[in-house]
Amino acid sequence: MTKILFADKLDSCVERWRSAGMTVIGPVQRTNSSMYDAVKSASELDLNLVLADRSIKELFFPQSEPMLRYNITKSEINTSEFLPPSGPRIIFGARACDASGLAIDDPLFGWDYKDEYWFQRRNESVIVTIACTKADEFCMCTSLKLAPDSTKGSDILLRPLENNKGWQVEELTDRGREAFKKVADLLQEGSDPAAATVSVPEKFDADACAEWLKNPENFNSHFWKEISLRCIGCGSCTYLCPTCHCFDIQDEGGSFEGIRRKNWDSCSFALFTMHTSGHNPRSTQSARWRQRIMHKFNYFPGKFSANSCSGCGRCTRECPVDMGITETLQEISKLSQ
Amino acid sequence: MSIEQLYRTRAKELLSSGEVKMVIGYGAGSNKERRRPLFITSAEECDKLVLDSACISNLSGYLLTEGLLSDEKRVAVFLRPEGVRALNVLAAEAQLDTAQIVIIGFDSPKGELKALEGSSVEEFTALITALKEITPETAGEEQLAKIEKMSPEERFLFWQEEFSKCIKCYACRQACPMCYCRRCIVDSNQPQWVNTSSHTLGNFEWNIVRAFHLSGRCVECGNCDRACPVNIPLRLINRKMAEEVLNSFNHFAGTSKTQEPVLASFKKDDSETFIL
Amino acid sequence: MTENNSNAAQNIYKPAIMKIVNRHDEAPGVRTLRLEFQDPLDHELFKATYRTGMFGLYGVYGEGESTFCVASPETRNEYIECTFRESGRVTSALARADIGDLVTFRGPYGNRFPLEEFYGKNLLFIAGGIALPPTRSVIWSCLDQREKFGKVTIVYGARTVADLVYKHELEEWMQRDDVELVLAVDPGGESPDWKHRVGFVPTVLEEAAPSAENCVAILCGPPIMIKFTLISLKKLGFEESNVYTTLENRMKCGLGKCGRCNVGSIYVCKEGPVFTAAEVSRMPAADL
Repeated sequence: MTKILFADKLDSCVERWRSAGMTVIGPVQRTNSSMYDAVKSASELDLNLVLADRSIKELFFPQSEPMLRYNITKSEINTSEFLPPSGPRIIFGARACDASGLAIDDPLFGWDYKDEYWFQRRNESVIVTIACTKADEFCMCTSLKLAPDSTKGSDILLRPLENNKGWQVEELTDRGREAFKKVADLLQEGSDPAAATVSVPEKFDADACAEWLKNPENFNSHFWKEISLRCIGCGSCTYLCPTCHCFDIQDEGGSFEGIRRKNWDSCSFALFTMHTSGHNPRSTQSARWRQRIMHKFNYFPGKFSANSCSGCGRCTRECPVDMGITETLQEISKLSQ
Repeated sequence: MSIEQLYRTRAKELLSSGEVKMVIGYGAGSNKERRRPLFITSAEECDKLVLDSACISNLSGYLLTEGLLSDEKRVAVFLRPEGVRALNVLAAEAQLDTAQIVIIGFDSPKGELKALEGSSVEEFTALITALKEITPETAGEEQLAKIEKMSPEERFLFWQEEFSKCIKCYACRQACPMCYCRRCIVDSNQPQWVNTSSHTLGNFEWNIVRAFHLSGRCVECGNCDRACPVNIPLRLINRKMAEEVLNSFNHFAGTSKTQEPVLASFKKDDSETFIL
Repeated sequence: MTENNSNAAQNIYKPAIMKIVNRHDEAPGVRTLRLEFQDPLDHELFKATYRTGMFGLYGVYGEGESTFCVASPETRNEYIECTFRESGRVTSALARADIGDLVTFRGPYGNRFPLEEFYGKNLLFIAGGIALPPTRSVIWSCLDQREKFGKVTIVYGARTVADLVYKHELEEWMQRDDVELVLAVDPGGESPDWKHRVGFVPTVLEEAAPSAENCVAILCGPPIMIKFTLISLKKLGFEESNVYTTLENRMKCGLGKCGRCNVGSIYVCKEGPVFTAAEVSRMPAADL
């Protein structure tokens, strides 16, 4: 017997969580594009999506976040801070790749200096992941040693029932247990079997790729230029990526009053690393693509013991020129044989 | 022989005769609906070229890749009629010399692939002039009519909702053959003309600035619209602006390589309805 | 989004407020500002953490922040001095600021020069142009505790006489018996009354031929100068592990998060900016 949440009880759960002061968030369809967003009732959720177009990271690291408001008078500068919205949140219907992405970025936002904009949201969010029973040709979690039912970064894992009438509930963390205690009476004990998770074929050998990337000789390989010839240098892959975390800091306003913001930025952009002098350490698109791959599969794991990729496949899925991590790592797998 | 076969052979000939140093075409993509830009420099690789109605993206922007045309050698490129129009606009704006470009033309009206005669922009003049008379066949037409019927407030709300999705990834700009500025106005910070943040104001600023920069220049290839990862219907903006420019100045972008840029030229009989 | 005036959670992006107490024009477009902390707590924190070699983000609200070294030494931590060339949006705003105006500082960040490892050793400082400020911070740290170090040699070159920075301090070092100062300007950069060397730094260095014996070299300059000076140092017998330099890259956070200062796997903001030449030579050259 396992705990089961039947789909017809979900609306009551949402109501219960909301009346307990939690913001309920989940995958929703907006005009021609899907994303994770706050909902008032379960009917707004679209739990049939393979994956929302936009990743979960923006709930923790928004594309533009006000940090400080400054106010300057003749004799002083007054700075007030914007703090991230506080209050508990439950994200219902995350995918394993998205949830894993958050766990991958935790050490980065925490090493030495703790970024409260990230951690306050992390500490107040319960992540309820639903194991995937379908995938598309861009999904690649298994190539990154993750799976459609990985528990990394999740507080609760739900396994869809075979009859599609609900989910088996696996409580993974205290925070998850706490949130589900609030709906305990809406859950039932049952023996309904869970549907098999989708089989996602492995597309490349991540270990072999890592070895190839670590070899200093390959840094200057012609490969980088060839693989990135068609890259147009937009930021869509990085902005949709659940683990890409680069940002810019910008002041908006006048000399006396305004707001300092943290905005997403992308290693794909030429200006990202450009010095004021005009010197640019990564002056070509191929150097920038190399940086992205090296950072995700060589540098980041060297520092934080995990690839900076959870295999969601959004980079390829949305690329205007059909590039992406999958193709590059497939080619590297071939080179490293 | 299929058009694909025909054009592979053509590409081989162009490369092996040394007439061009590179062929920019399409190759197989990661699934059946997708084709990806392909850069071929040797005749042996020409069999990788794919041509079918899924070859949609306008490849002309790659011609401005830094250094590509600076050796004065020629490059062949697969282009639809919009792509040829783009070449004319780029030539009119002194971005390239069309003598360096060998066009491998094709189109797929109603999904049926057909080859287009000619290899230099001049040979496409009649075709492009004819296009001017045809109401463009875009999926946006119906939606555009709907937007036209809206009150200004409703229309504002419509675009506000669409622009609220913008994440400022600049895929629209990067995919656009007309967005070739070395330093885009949004990347200039002295002064900071446009807010870099993707909040409502910043998103409006960016999308409106881009719409104006493309007025009378956009050839409606749809690259921006397809590139947008959050599916903002950018084609509608460009369609509307093209219509305005056509109605006000009888200007259809990209009809010839000597066409004067409409917003950079003055004629005595220009309509001045917006000046009191 | 709530707005808060209290310091409930520590905001790592919030800078300290600094008052400009002095400013000095060093060379055309190059200026030094002396800054004092307005909040004693910020100052205490700075004194407790600042060591020579570390850097900071200097800012003007409304324009942004810009990264450069702390040009004043750890031995003089009552204030912060920074020297910058007016070139971008932030440095132009800093250049417009007057004595008494308020600006911001975030830091100190990064690693430091391991000064105690230099005790008892001879020191060779080599700097080019606007790269004297990071070197100057080390020079004063050593001169302020002169007895702990051996012979001190400074080789400094600039494009022209006008481009030499810290002219008053160069004069002071010139006068000192316990410092050997070799000044040079690039060929064509000399003025009629120029009494010092004419030539590029690597050449001048080889002519001065300081001994590599028990000596540590501290080298700062533009990439091209570093490249050729390293060759000269090698000729003079210096081991790469005894040559220190500082790297500069564009930064926004200084905290190892914003992702732009990487050189290979190195986060310059956290693992640098001070590196030995041996460490630099292991980095991918194309990334520098």
